[in-house]
Amino acid sequence: MKKSILIVVLALVVSGFTVSKRVQVLIDKEIKNVFKIENYIKQPINISSEIIAELPLKITDTNFNKISSEDSLLGYYYFGQAYGKADYFDFIVIFDKDLIVSKVKILVYREDHGGEIGSRRWLKQFIGKTSEKQLKYQKDIAAISGATISAKAMTREVNKLLKTIEILNNKELL
Amino acid sequence: MKKITLVLAAMLIGLVGFAQESASETYLNSGQRLLGKDMGKGITFGGYGQIDYNEKDGSAAGNLDVHRLVLLFGYKFNDKVSFLTEVEYEHVKEVYVEQAYIKYKANENLNVLAGLMLVPMGIINEFHEPTTFYGVERPNVDKYIVPTTWRELGVGVSGKIDNASLKYQAYLFNGFRSFNSKNEPGKEGLIGGSSGLRGGRQKGAESVVSSPNLSTKIDFYGIRGLRLGVSGYFGKTQSDDVAVDGTTVGVSMLGFDARYKYNNLELRGQYIATSLTDTEEYNTLTGKDLGSKMNGLYGEVAYSFDLKGEEKLTPFLRYEKHNTHAETEGFAANEAYDRDELIFGLNYKVAEGAAFKVDYQIMNNAVSGSDASKQFNAGVAIWF
Repeated sequence: MKKSILIVVLALVVSGFTVSKRVQVLIDKEIKNVFKIENYIKQPINISSEIIAELPLKITDTNFNKISSEDSLLGYYYFGQAYGKADYFDFIVIFDKDLIVSKVKILVYREDHGGEIGSRRWLKQFIGKTSEKQLKYQKDIAAISGATISAKAMTREVNKLLKTIEILNNKELL
Repeated sequence: MKKITLVLAAMLIGLVGFAQESASETYLNSGQRLLGKDMGKGITFGGYGQIDYNEKDGSAAGNLDVHRLVLLFGYKFNDKVSFLTEVEYEHVKEVYVEQAYIKYKANENLNVLAGLMLVPMGIINEFHEPTTFYGVERPNVDKYIVPTTWRELGVGVSGKIDNASLKYQAYLFNGFRSFNSKNEPGKEGLIGGSSGLRGGRQKGAESVVSSPNLSTKIDFYGIRGLRLGVSGYFGKTQSDDVAVDGTTVGVSMLGFDARYKYNNLELRGQYIATSLTDTEEYNTLTGKDLGSKMNGLYGEVAYSFDLKGEEKLTPFLRYEKHNTHAETEGFAANEAYDRDELIFGLNYKVAEGAAFKVDYQIMNNAVSGSDASKQFNAGVAIWF
């Protein structure tokens, strides 16, 4: 028993030194992957505080950006946080220039339960979605048994984001 | 002690009220952050409750019971370290700690955990909040074969592989206690035929450890709506007197479970098989009737009808079979331990985390000529 504990402590110490990339590096990697580019320019969008107040998701100049390369607009990305059972998780949603979801990725998942939402296959369901309709969990988005809270939270957050995009688009602020 | 309970209850009621006010903001999170301004740290509060009414067919009186009331407290020290504990009141008077462990997140794919934790075997042991299963009581296969709620002290790792849609867990736990030399003669053996390994659960209370037990589980969720699990548990039971022959037995358990959800349909299935060695020496020493093989399985189907808002009405049907004397070494198996059951009922979900339940169980065993025993159950299930 003592040996086993020693091994576990060693594993803990060793893995603690694993370099964990900062979130921005992860975001950059995803954007370059999706749009197949080496470099890109990102700009926040300018919206007044009255408009922000009516949005389901609060847009700031750090969580939502336009992505362009040289002169052409490529798309947008949103960096969000949602609450699972006992802690937040961080995610990114990348849109193409027509406001269609191109990629969703969970960047940081903190709890030891509910991390199943990081599954690439599950997240693929959000690709191609637009603000046309709100997504229903267990109907439009497949359920994950054992991760219901985080999966519902993610679905709800994406719905809020799609609604936010729709409002901004209708006001021609994108 | 009563005053503390009252204060805790008042706090809980206050929290539930607060939770409902911001329900539209924080949908089904099981807690509220009390120190919420700094997202880097905070307390989470949550809980679940199971209140039952059981009535066996016949002239015996019915039973009403606050079967379980569990309070969950979590504390986040920083992005990597957190602590979670569940304090449980069973039948109002028995207090237990159901979980108490620290989690260290090494990276996105690996967590290191230590403390009192749930053993990953089957569905219910890990996911046992009463709003997550159908039927007032937990399935008997889980009660007698798993045996739920099975939690022990240990260290381990858990994590996920996103590209493969896999979750893994591996722990070293202290094992079931099979022998207590300080009990009066005839009562030193703690496990036996009627309830299998259930009496051997140490639950973190001054646990005796004479050898480590290995527990592992892998879950696969790559197919939409489906979750498959395979668990393994291996080791010897614990005894405070290992020098004496026959105080411990070897345990090997394999569990398979499956959950499927699609639109309004839910299916569940589970199979657990247990193999015990040295049961003959154990039984000779302790006078017990421990079997050498035990198993259990069930299959369940449920279909939800959407009512207004979040409300759902779900009829369900489950067939269960379990046998703590699937095989015995050196004596004849007791057919009364070969049990099967049909249960059907209704689940009326009134909100996320609150449901009324009603069901009827028809229980039989393999003794020839035995009558089926029947029981009506009704209950309230809460989880926040």
